[in-house]
Amino acid sequence: MMRQLILLIATIVVAPFIGGLLFGIDRRITARLQGRFGPPILQPFYDFLKLIGKERIAVSRLQFVWIYAYLVFMVGSLLCLVFQSDFLILVFLLGFAGVSLVLAGFSTKSPYSHFGANRELLQIMAYEPVLLLLAIGIYAQNGTFLISEIFNQSRPLIFSLWPLFIAVLYVLTIKMRKSPFDIATSHHAHQEIVKGVITEFSGPYYALYQLAEWYEIVLVLGIVALFWTNPLWVGILIALAAFLLELLIDNIAARMTAPWMVRLSWTVGLILGVLNIAYIYFTKGVS
Amino acid sequence: MTDGMMAIAILLPLLAGLVIFLVRDYYARNVVVVVTALTLIANSILFVVKGPFTYTPTGFNWGLVIEVLDYAILIFYLYLGFTLRNWLVLIFAVTQLIPLAYFEFVMKAHVEVAPAFVVDNLAIIMCLVISIVGSLICIYALRYMYDHEQHAHVEKSRQSRFLLWLVLFLGAMNGLVFANNLVWLYFFWEVTTMCSFMLISHDKTELAIKNAARALWMNSTGGTAFIIAIIYLYVTQGGASALSMQNIIGGTLQGSILLLPVALLCYTGCTKAAQMPFQSWLLGAMVAPTPVSALLHSSTMVKAGVYLVLRLAPAYAGTYVSTAVAIVGAFTFFGTSALAISQSTGKRVLAYSTIANLGLIIACAGINTPLSIAAAILLIIFHAISKGMLFLCAGTIEHLIWSRDIEDMEGLAAKAPLTTLITALGILSMFLPPFGMLLGKWIALEAAYRIPLAAVLFVLASTMTIVFWTKWLGRLLQVLPKLGWPFEKLSLSYSVPLWTLLVGIFVVGIGVAPIYQNFVASAAHNVISGTQIFASGWDNMSLSGTSVKGLLGYFPVWALYAVFAIAVLLPLIFVGLKPTQLRPVYMCGEQSGAMDADEYMAEADTKTKVILGGYYFQDSLGEKTLNPVVNTIAILLLVIMIGCGVILK
Repeated sequence: MMRQLILLIATIVVAPFIGGLLFGIDRRITARLQGRFGPPILQPFYDFLKLIGKERIAVSRLQFVWIYAYLVFMVGSLLCLVFQSDFLILVFLLGFAGVSLVLAGFSTKSPYSHFGANRELLQIMAYEPVLLLLAIGIYAQNGTFLISEIFNQSRPLIFSLWPLFIAVLYVLTIKMRKSPFDIATSHHAHQEIVKGVITEFSGPYYALYQLAEWYEIVLVLGIVALFWTNPLWVGILIALAAFLLELLIDNIAARMTAPWMVRLSWTVGLILGVLNIAYIYFTKGVS
Repeated sequence: MTDGMMAIAILLPLLAGLVIFLVRDYYARNVVVVVTALTLIANSILFVVKGPFTYTPTGFNWGLVIEVLDYAILIFYLYLGFTLRNWLVLIFAVTQLIPLAYFEFVMKAHVEVAPAFVVDNLAIIMCLVISIVGSLICIYALRYMYDHEQHAHVEKSRQSRFLLWLVLFLGAMNGLVFANNLVWLYFFWEVTTMCSFMLISHDKTELAIKNAARALWMNSTGGTAFIIAIIYLYVTQGGASALSMQNIIGGTLQGSILLLPVALLCYTGCTKAAQMPFQSWLLGAMVAPTPVSALLHSSTMVKAGVYLVLRLAPAYAGTYVSTAVAIVGAFTFFGTSALAISQSTGKRVLAYSTIANLGLIIACAGINTPLSIAAAILLIIFHAISKGMLFLCAGTIEHLIWSRDIEDMEGLAAKAPLTTLITALGILSMFLPPFGMLLGKWIALEAAYRIPLAAVLFVLASTMTIVFWTKWLGRLLQVLPKLGWPFEKLSLSYSVPLWTLLVGIFVVGIGVAPIYQNFVASAAHNVISGTQIFASGWDNMSLSGTSVKGLLGYFPVWALYAVFAIAVLLPLIFVGLKPTQLRPVYMCGEQSGAMDADEYMAEADTKTKVILGGYYFQDSLGEKTLNPVVNTIAILLLVIMIGCGVILK
């Protein structure tokens, strides 16, 4: 019990530091790729501290509730991962976190925020089935959705679920809001000044959003790491490599349209997932 | 005791309906409806206390009564076919009438099945859903129909006629879930079809009558399949004992020739549950006053369809029919979820979502493991409460803004905060952890891997479910930075059912673990093991070969509640997070000034209103594009399902 409590607090406290640091590295590397010098690695934390101290100004009374829900469900989802709970529940919570962000965008009558929210909804439509298929793939392989069972297996998942691994890399690009899928909003003035779904967030609310994003990056990289859990450091290296790969893709790709993203995800992502599951089903049968 | 309970459950609604029909006074009628509703609710709780039993009515030739009424209903259909000049209604009335007459007069079949009624745990759960949710909808209808006629300026009130069919519906449904004699089950089946016709056609507009006739003929094809199944069973299995539901699912009949009639009965269930390609009758039923939609969608009618398929689950377990049923359901779940995204009418979104969830339930029955059967029962309960409430919300909204269009509901949160709050919670209960529907889906996915195609369809469908609910919720909650939202006043007849159902969602959602262990697990066991209804009772019993019990003992459920509680409670504690200032939104610095204005300065400084709308994807997901494709596939799947009954024994 005590151990779990420590783990709980450690996750809530440590994860944002890792996430913030990753974002700092992201900004630095992106700047170098673009021939700029870039901000200090700790810049995201400076930004956060500045934002959190500002006056709480909003454009709608409902907005803050949903930003808050976004953060809470994201942390809940991450806790599911850390406590090695049910993977399906993790996906459900992550999905609802996404829905909260969409609703935060919808809860104002701002055209920019509205476009962004509609597109964010399309992003959910693009990545949610892939993550759920990953859950089914894990079930097919282990006979349960429990993450703890993944850690019990000596053979890493990536050997049997490599097509789903490719699909998850695709989800990672969407989740990190990187080109070519930075459709709902983008990072550090990548393509535009008005920032889509987060146009209307300001001050402490924007800080909360950033905090949630830090948790999110740790969570999605954690999902990537699940593909190699024995030993875990290999999985973490894979996740970091995936992170760097995303930065590279981000800087060499241009933004595509939202329908294109959904179509690609529903064809390539789903075909990879379905073939993967079908293969395991026919070779292993129902466990 | 059992005499009285059965009489109240089945006959009281008929009696009360007749009294309501004769009493023309608004207040006296209200009293009768409320008293009937409360009696039915109390009676259904009595069933829970009493536990399972079997019952055969004595002292009166009820078989004869039912026979006579069967003909009366079918001849009424004939009459409707002639007067409406609707050949499909006529044809399918004849296809029921002739086999029935042949069965009873030429074959001289004497169908005496003992016991006539079997009240097992599944039937009790159904009775609870019907009596509680159904009764609340009847109470809601009192005020709704009054407003409805006021708004339409009806000269001669037809409210009493409406309430007659509404209340009678509940009795027929109770009879349907208790009946063990297939001929009696068929009778109650037809009564629900007739009630739905009368209710859908209530407004007597051209569209209402057309849609009611469609509902009638589509359900009559199911009725025809039902009769053929009865005759087939009687002939091939040698006598009346084959017409006992308990014998069919209990494995005492010859399995090899059982499969065809069971597949036919599954088809019948699919017609009533509006599975693709029959979804059009339920969508057409939306023209009726909203209490009808609420009743048809939550506790009655469509639930009769899924009940029949679920009840028959052991009879087709382990066959290809079972797999086919799972695919039929899963495909409907997928197809209608996609179609729902393209709908801009609130009630049509609800209707598609209902059909989708029924598909999920039928798919669970087809997957046919203890776990999936339990998921199906859970989904029936959760869906009845949530969807009943959402329809009542839709009706309330309609009477506030006199529109059913989702785009017209923009910013309802500021105009009618109370209704919006309840509607929003209802919508969230359809897909937000930890509410019941999501738990049901979770268990369904856990069970679905047995049929991977079903699992994949579940995944796609559940994603699309999120999209259309979020879109609707987004429209409701889109507000301007205005201050001060006074709560609107609702009539007691509206607010009592709404609040009760809302409390129900929370109680059933939070209490899912005990409900599961005390009610659902034993009901699922009843479904699977057929005849052994007295083996278990309401005790805690584990299902053999699964980890059902362990499942809820695991960490996830409580973790979900923890997250949920934090999300709900902490904002209350941190009211400090509330904005200190509200400002207008960003419009490139061209707002027209006032804080709550949604206008900007366009060319030549003309004020232009900002108009925003949701995405509906008419081109890719519209009915015109999708319907031909999905209906064709659905017809093929149904043919395969029945074909599996014929060929693959």
